[in-house]
Amino acid sequence: MAGVMDGASEMRVPHATELLDFVAAALSFDPVRIAATRDAVLNTMGEPAMVDAAAVIAGFNGITRIADATGIPLEDFKAEQSENWRATLGINQFANTKS
Amino acid sequence: MPIRPDLLQAQDRAWTSLGHPGTWWTGADRVAIAAETRHAASCPLCAARAEALSPAMVGGDHATLGSLPGAAVEAIHRIRTDSGRIGESWIDRLMAGGMDEARYVELVSVVAITIAIDTFRSAVGLEVLPLPPVHLGAPRPSRPVGVKRDLCWVSTLAPEDVGPDDPDIYLMRRDGPPQRSGANIQRALSLVPQAMLQWWDMLEVMYMPGPWMRDFTREYRAVSHAQIEMLAARVSALNRCIY
Repeated sequence: MAGVMDGASEMRVPHATELLDFVAAALSFDPVRIAATRDAVLNTMGEPAMVDAAAVIAGFNGITRIADATGIPLEDFKAEQSENWRATLGINQFANTKS
Repeated sequence: MPIRPDLLQAQDRAWTSLGHPGTWWTGADRVAIAAETRHAASCPLCAARAEALSPAMVGGDHATLGSLPGAAVEAIHRIRTDSGRIGESWIDRLMAGGMDEARYVELVSVVAITIAIDTFRSAVGLEVLPLPPVHLGAPRPSRPVGVKRDLCWVSTLAPEDVGPDDPDIYLMRRDGPPQRSGANIQRALSLVPQAMLQWWDMLEVMYMPGPWMRDFTREYRAVSHAQIEMLAARVSALNRCIY
């Protein structure tokens, strides 16, 4: 899971490196960076995978705004299940920056 | 580049809907919100606030297109550029400054649709869409009877409180099992059912409908469940989203 937070640690998910780089580039809206990382996903995973990855990234770039703008809390059972790794990964610290 | 037709159709429906009168905003207002969402990315004040320890430490005026009230501009810019640090006190100040709760929720949906579609098109190498045409007409204000402010910073409509006159926002009246579980995130926009439907009808095509998300016996997309959840989690981390 650390790779999700830092974008660099090894992930046991196929093509994680290419996909995580694509995420960071897509959120930057930098066309040069996007083109390079998109090509990496295209070359390793093919066009349908690149398109579906882009759709997920884009959808979550929207839904995170909805969650943050409305203050939607995590469900209790999800918070309990994820308590340890949320603390380990530093996710809980995000709450301290809200104002 | 071949793109799933359902993906393009879903985004086209959502984009077109922005130009139509909403529940609380006119079509012209909604298109102005979309335009301001794009404009916020180059706002110097937002850039300075994003770098500051706290956004409240930096004063000044937003670089705005000028067609929306100040409270709406503040909301759009903050959600577009620094959503991860939004707190309840900011929402309270927004409401005290004249932003109505339901108008805010509809604004959030327009901002989210704009961000999602722009992100997708730029990621796959397509030009951003021109703003949709404005359709004249008045908004049709309505507020579901059963809404409560008991979950988050805005009122929401829980699945058990959906009345017979409310739209089927959790898709409970179709054949088969309910498509939407009523998870907290699904309730976020439920104060404005039309806004909620416009967002979720698009998102479920970009991501997955709930039943597919929970079905690990097969893959429905060209990326696996594990890859999808990794992508989603990374987006959340970069946006500092705690949900």
